[in-house]
Amino acid sequence: MEQPDAWHQTDRLDAEQGKGDPFAAAVRATRMPMIVTNPRLPDNPIVFANDAFLRMTGYGRDEVMGRNCRLLQGKETDRGAVALIREAVEANTDIAIDILNYRKDGMPFWNALYLSPVVNEAGEVLFFFASQLDVSDRVDAHLRVQQEKDRFEAEVAHRTRDLTEALATQTMLVHEVDHRVKNNLQMIAALLSMQTRAITDPAARTAMEAMLTRVEALGTVHRRLYQSNNVERFDVAEFARDLATDLVRGSGDRIRLHLDLEAVEIPVAKAPPVALMMNELITNALKHAFPNDRPGRLSVTVAPDAAYFTIKIADDGVGMPVQVMEQRSFGKRLIGTLCRQLSASIAWMNNDPGTIVSIRLPREMAGGLEAS
Amino acid sequence: MTEPLKILVVEDEALILMQIEMMLEEAGHCVVGTAMTAREAIALVHETRPELVLIDLRLGDGSSGLDVAQAVRDLGGITAAFMTADAQALSEDMAGATAVIAKPFTGTVLEESLTYLEDCVRRPPPAEYVPPGMRVAPAWLASFAQMRANLTPRQGPRGG
Repeated sequence: MEQPDAWHQTDRLDAEQGKGDPFAAAVRATRMPMIVTNPRLPDNPIVFANDAFLRMTGYGRDEVMGRNCRLLQGKETDRGAVALIREAVEANTDIAIDILNYRKDGMPFWNALYLSPVVNEAGEVLFFFASQLDVSDRVDAHLRVQQEKDRFEAEVAHRTRDLTEALATQTMLVHEVDHRVKNNLQMIAALLSMQTRAITDPAARTAMEAMLTRVEALGTVHRRLYQSNNVERFDVAEFARDLATDLVRGSGDRIRLHLDLEAVEIPVAKAPPVALMMNELITNALKHAFPNDRPGRLSVTVAPDAAYFTIKIADDGVGMPVQVMEQRSFGKRLIGTLCRQLSASIAWMNNDPGTIVSIRLPREMAGGLEAS
Repeated sequence: MTEPLKILVVEDEALILMQIEMMLEEAGHCVVGTAMTAREAIALVHETRPELVLIDLRLGDGSSGLDVAQAVRDLGGITAAFMTADAQALSEDMAGATAVIAKPFTGTVLEESLTYLEDCVRRPPPAEYVPPGMRVAPAWLASFAQMRANLTPRQGPRGG
């Protein structure tokens, strides 16, 4: 059974009477700096400080007794940490916090403070008990690591910024060149189209129109380039849709267009020859299969097939006369040479009625792939 | 065709300007003016009060077609469309313009785009078909769809 005034013993810890108490003796002798403050006295003063505390702070006992602990605070002490301690005292709760304190001689040190209220049976706070530990070495090491980390992160951020800028410059350059190419193709088409209007000779006019269509096909390739984020691949199916739609609609409304397109991505470098090839085949079909305003149907298929893909153009027109097939026209020579460039095989078949042209070509650049 | 459309063409590339002008006139429209810079264009918009303005994005003197579109939008009641090799640079609302025609365009696309825009001005809503390379601003697409819905008499449930 505890004496009702047992706690008064601690009141007199600094007094001679306390010396007989083994717990008080332990607190006095420990190397852990410890103090006791009395919140019932004005400004919660220190009422006990052990020798370890005096060694750590450099103060004499008479210099700390009766003073509030804030005497340890200084210029660089974090005000937020001080506020947290004050809140804990006001709320009568425990707190463990690292705070920058100052010795009597002005030397700062990191103090790992553990503060607890000492409560009697009635729940009243009688004392605050605080143990401290100089953890400057630990905090300094932590700060050093933090500084290293900050410096490293700053360096990474700097490098990233440089690379982002370089990429932005490169993207802008590609964009600029792309813009110019597109504008120039529009200008070439404008020249051809205006010149064509001025020509009266039907053969010359037909030839000019064919040239314009070819330039327009190349223009459509460039319009479709860089539309996606992928600047290295070109979707043949989407291009085929634009090209066939444009050519068929340009030939009047008697031809119905049927599209069967599956996405096939090819390297950008292959796009112009593929485009020119498709343009030749579709314009050929429109020119020869439907004479005398004959109505009909044109179907364009793009289908991937392992490492290859197939472009098929089928019409239900009059069928390709043998003379046209064997003609050494510019269009036919163009098709033949484009096939060589693309390592493509080409087949002309009877569609009964009409004609089917089927081209099979490797998707990737011809690296060791033989033309069949 | 009905009354010729009064069109202002804003394009700083001589050849392309000539081609568009020639094509518009062949189609029976009236080119009320041509401009190569934003400043010229804005003055002409106020002066000639066109029904349709075709605007290149990058103009002479480093000026921008966006300023022309803004002036057209402020004035109200005029249809605007961009024609540019930089179509992806336009924001979704296209500064109030109805559509953008991406360069390079083919002769067929130019004709069909013009028909679309003529319908926007004269007899909206335009037909649903949008030529390859032409992109209609989402707000306008929605308003055209609304018009079409209002034109079509509501169908009762099937069989009823």
